[in-house]
Amino acid sequence: MANYQIPSWVIFSIFAVLASQYFSGSHSASILNSIAIAALLAGSLRFVMLIGELNFAIAAFVGIGAYSAGVATTMLDISFFLAILTSGVAASLISMVFGSITLRSGGPYFLLIGFAFTEAMRIVYSKTDVLGQTSGMVGIFPPIEFDDWLSLFVIIICLGLLFLMYVIEKSQFGTIFKSIRDNSDVTRTVGINVLYWKVVCFAIASFCAGIAGALQAFVNNVISPGDFGYLLAVFALAYVKVGGESSIAGSILGAIFLVVLSEFALALGAGEHIFYGAAIVIAVLFMREGIVGLVSSTISWITKTRASKEERV
Amino acid sequence: MNSEQTPLLSGRQLERRFGGLLAVSELDIDLYPGEILGLIGPNGAGKSTTFNLLSGFYPPTGGELYVMGERCTGKSPTKISRKGLVRTFQHGSLMPSMSVRDNILLGTMHQLSGRRRIERIARTEETAEMLGLSAFLEEVAGVLPHGLQRLVSIGIAFASRPKILCLDEPLTGLNHTEASSALHVFERIRGEFGCSILLVEHNMKAVMKICDRMVVLHHGKPIAAGRAEDIQSNEEVISIYLGRLDDE
Repeated sequence: MANYQIPSWVIFSIFAVLASQYFSGSHSASILNSIAIAALLAGSLRFVMLIGELNFAIAAFVGIGAYSAGVATTMLDISFFLAILTSGVAASLISMVFGSITLRSGGPYFLLIGFAFTEAMRIVYSKTDVLGQTSGMVGIFPPIEFDDWLSLFVIIICLGLLFLMYVIEKSQFGTIFKSIRDNSDVTRTVGINVLYWKVVCFAIASFCAGIAGALQAFVNNVISPGDFGYLLAVFALAYVKVGGESSIAGSILGAIFLVVLSEFALALGAGEHIFYGAAIVIAVLFMREGIVGLVSSTISWITKTRASKEERV
Repeated sequence: MNSEQTPLLSGRQLERRFGGLLAVSELDIDLYPGEILGLIGPNGAGKSTTFNLLSGFYPPTGGELYVMGERCTGKSPTKISRKGLVRTFQHGSLMPSMSVRDNILLGTMHQLSGRRRIERIARTEETAEMLGLSAFLEEVAGVLPHGLQRLVSIGIAFASRPKILCLDEPLTGLNHTEASSALHVFERIRGEFGCSILLVEHNMKAVMKICDRMVVLHHGKPIAAGRAEDIQSNEEVISIYLGRLDDE
């Protein structure tokens, strides 16, 4: 296998897991949950960006995951772990059908179809009796034994899936995905079935999105159609862009930054979204590589100045 | 040459229409094993369309296409490539944000699919060595000088070890040294790997030097085909195209 360097974000994540135990208060725990789920969403959106597509259908697959978990837990009495797995698999299977039809197009067309699918799914939830129509589903609880551990569990699952996406990206599958983004014609001419690999990439990302939806359902205990509108995809894009698109660490940093920012902004009521807008504008104008780019250019600046100082001495 | 052999690639009365425009018509083309065939013609003669027809990017509106003896009319580029025909493109025939290593590696992916990672890496390095790209394997392909980018795009195509390699103006923008070393590489690809080459090229001296046979296109129709020497002395060809040789 390839030499996977342990990325700095893995070390950093271990701190996050420890932090989840330290901040056992319910409010800080809920922020940690939100960050973990947001990071997973950002990771999933970014994963499809590897093949060069902006996946606005992510919100639909998060919704499918959340509602699958809701149905599995409240109606079918399926166990907690199996319910989470089912959510991922359901989202992934539906995404394969959706992807094999829609990924024949690309760019703005794919984005618009994803947007339409998200909105259509939202209407499906709000018109379906068993899914609680517009009021959604309630009582999606994890088992009682998990009360103290839910936060830790959520963080571990999210990090595990982010790590899975990292490994795939660094493997030769990642090379195929990026080559489709860079030049799908050349990829085609060396015998690679571009549509097949696009669907594979999409299905993996949707599996993660489905799991994120299930975790969100278990964390909040309540879901409603309004949670899974296209804004969810916009937020995920904001995490990716503000954090920096070049690595998964960017998705995690973006999620931390914007979720914490929105906690402070909650006091402003409906005005909180203005912070997302401002953060995106600042990121696009002043830090094209996001937080990750800012950090790495700062580090290289420090080492350079240090080296030149040492030279003078 | 080798006219008694079965051709690896053959087009029969291929035709491609774009609305009212007849871009290519009445095209018969055969590529025999171990041969380097030149496809020449002035700008707008239909060379690129022909390439797109042969590689499956455009389905023909008439005629038949056979690759490795099998009927491939209307098949997708991926299917045709899996039969052993791989092409390069005139512009941007590589993955600019990826390393040279990953670019060439991509070419090996389908042919060496499954659990053959080691073989893929070895094939990548062998290909890079042959093209003189070993020193640039870790560089990002998009920032390399033009000449090296051309070699990388040939590397991607050749890494899949095709039986038929279609090169779309591979010498454009190369200086004299680069062009002659590229020609040397083509000879090696043919000589050591028995790969047949279909070459579209504007550099007439190079084409005359390396091609066994040539097909001359004009207004989408083949007006002459044959050995380089015969083409050079063909009156019609000289009048529409080769007259430029004296100017160069």
